[in-house]
Amino acid sequence: MTRMTFQQATVAAIADEMRADRDVFVMGEDIGRFGGPLRSNAGLFEEFGAEGRVIDTPISEGTFVGVGVGAAMYGKRPVVDLMFLEFLALVMQQFLDAGAMHYYSGGTQRVPLVVRAKFGVGPFHGHAYDHHSWLMNMPGVKIVAPSNPDDAYALMRAAIRDDNPVLFLEHMALYHAGKAEVDDDTPLSLGKASIAREGTDLSIYASALMTKRALAAAKVLAEDGISAEVVDLRTISPLDEATILTSARKTGRALVLSEAIGRGSSSNDVAALLAEQAFGDLKAPIRRLAPPNIPTPFARELEREYLPSEDRIVSAAKDLMG
Amino acid sequence: MTKSNQTPQELYYLMVQTRTLDRVIGAHDGHWHGLEGEEATIAGIYHGLQKGDVIAPHYRGAVSAALAKGADLKTLMAGCLGRSTAYHKGRHRSDICGPPELGLIGLYAGSLGPPLGYAAGAALAAKLDGRDDIALGVFGDGTSSRGDCHEAMNMAAVLRLPMVFVCQNNQIAISTELSAGVAGSITARGASFGMPSAEVDGNDVIAVKNAMDEATARARRGDGPSLIECKSYRVAGHFYSDAEDYRDREEIERWRAKEPIARFRAYLIAEGIQTEEDLDRIDAALTEEVDTAFKMALEDPVPEAALLAPDDVYAEARP
Ligand SMILES: Cc1ncc(C[n+]2csc(CCOP(=O)(O)OP(=O)(O)O)c2C)c(N)n1
Repeated sequence: MTRMTFQQATVAAIADEMRADRDVFVMGEDIGRFGGPLRSNAGLFEEFGAEGRVIDTPISEGTFVGVGVGAAMYGKRPVVDLMFLEFLALVMQQFLDAGAMHYYSGGTQRVPLVVRAKFGVGPFHGHAYDHHSWLMNMPGVKIVAPSNPDDAYALMRAAIRDDNPVLFLEHMALYHAGKAEVDDDTPLSLGKASIAREGTDLSIYASALMTKRALAAAKVLAEDGISAEVVDLRTISPLDEATILTSARKTGRALVLSEAIGRGSSSNDVAALLAEQAFGDLKAPIRRLAPPNIPTPFARELEREYLPSEDRIVSAAKDLMG
Repeated sequence: MTKSNQTPQELYYLMVQTRTLDRVIGAHDGHWHGLEGEEATIAGIYHGLQKGDVIAPHYRGAVSAALAKGADLKTLMAGCLGRSTAYHKGRHRSDICGPPELGLIGLYAGSLGPPLGYAAGAALAAKLDGRDDIALGVFGDGTSSRGDCHEAMNMAAVLRLPMVFVCQNNQIAISTELSAGVAGSITARGASFGMPSAEVDGNDVIAVKNAMDEATARARRGDGPSLIECKSYRVAGHFYSDAEDYRDREEIERWRAKEPIARFRAYLIAEGIQTEEDLDRIDAALTEEVDTAFKMALEDPVPEAALLAPDDVYAEARP
């Protein structure tokens, strides 16, 4: 048990996996001596640089993620830093190919690749775009979005050990937002949601920063006598359908949060799952809360208006209670 | 057979094998991307690789690349026909995706360019492991205009990867002539990325082979990537049933007359490396082999719905 920030926990997980397995290496732009933007790779160069396992690359996202794919195909476990999530557009083909390989090869080929990306509104002004939902339509790809340092540590280690291409999302508003206990004995596996707070009146589904806001909203709701359960998805693809359904069946109400714009958002899959499989247990229509369908705004004031806030989560929850 | 004529004979074999595939698969499937005219280039590129080498082949020639790496002919044929007996339950098309366990990187999602980056990754894996294996990234003249191609060359040079880039320059991309697709010279791009490059006559199998030997030896020594441009001509249509109303018949016939197999045959006989009878025997054996494999594959079962198996999409943790 150590107290760490989200950033420290993520880097610690990578360093621990690099110590445990010589096939793990990191690659990306400015991750060597510079340590990566927001210290995303701080300390790795000092410890592993001499072994050639911290590789600075040219500004060639499609190709360095492609290099990750090829190295993963032939025995390595690359952890590639995409820097910011808006660059996902530049590596879509690589995800599409990598995600298909295990299936196409009849199970022969494994692609143990982690692609990290920072995203989200936060202290680092700019690069806020949340485009992970694009990958929902790609078979074979996993998407992970931790909401706290402890999960960041466990999920990064699990992502590195996973034999599939994984997009690992690092929210910039969570990155340096205080330390929390990190337990290095947490079991390592992707695909499990957590019940971040238990409740009986409604279920709020969220990930990353939205989970943090949902937890804050749940406290306010509790003061008004409303017991909200917060389901932290943690793995967005594939979804932990069992945990999602169990919660809605228990509470009978579902509020689905999204940091990405509503149209085409990954959160719509949560809503669709509930509609198809838990409809009979619901006491009210499923409610979605997402930013408007516009490009992410820049000015702080607009950015604040854009995202589902604690207040809006509270009022959506109260609406749902009727 | 003496040691000294082993390589020429193998090259001849690969060339005729490529031609025979064309004839058999092309007759069956109008979408087969034929190789007529480019047999010397194909044989020269893929001959003599070692087990751990990885190839991202150009799609035109991917079956020959897989065969050169030891893939089974009949199983590949089944994959071209969409049979369940193909490699990997027939889930991908063998005409452009070879078995990765033999070091073949497929064109899984069909986009030209990105596999060159995957080949660079395989080269990086070999380098990190301290193996003397290399990777080949092969592309057409049309594909040379993809940013991925430029990025992969730059990346391989910056990281000093054990890699050889080979351009199958057949002077056309579907209907786009070389001059409309490529500015300047592809070979000259090697120099701009700081790597040795050479243009060779792609219809001269020995010239291709010699250039490849030099480049692969350099890569294995750890001296970094090279670029080879094999200049040839796509005598075949873009695909077999291509009406080809976009180009000049006479030009095709001029190149057909420079046919690489006849040229190599004449050389082997003139130099006394092989007799005409030896070569005829190779031709006949290949015809028999390819025809039989194709016939067997045709009779194989097509996949059933159960083989969709959505649960296979993710790799499970190893026990
Ligand atoms: C990224 C991408 N763009 C376009 C295509 C469609 N396409 C298939 S083959 C081809 C021509 C490729 O030309 P070249 O690389 O010269 O190869 P050749 O067919 O001459 O062997 C094109 C444009 C594709 N498969 N991928």
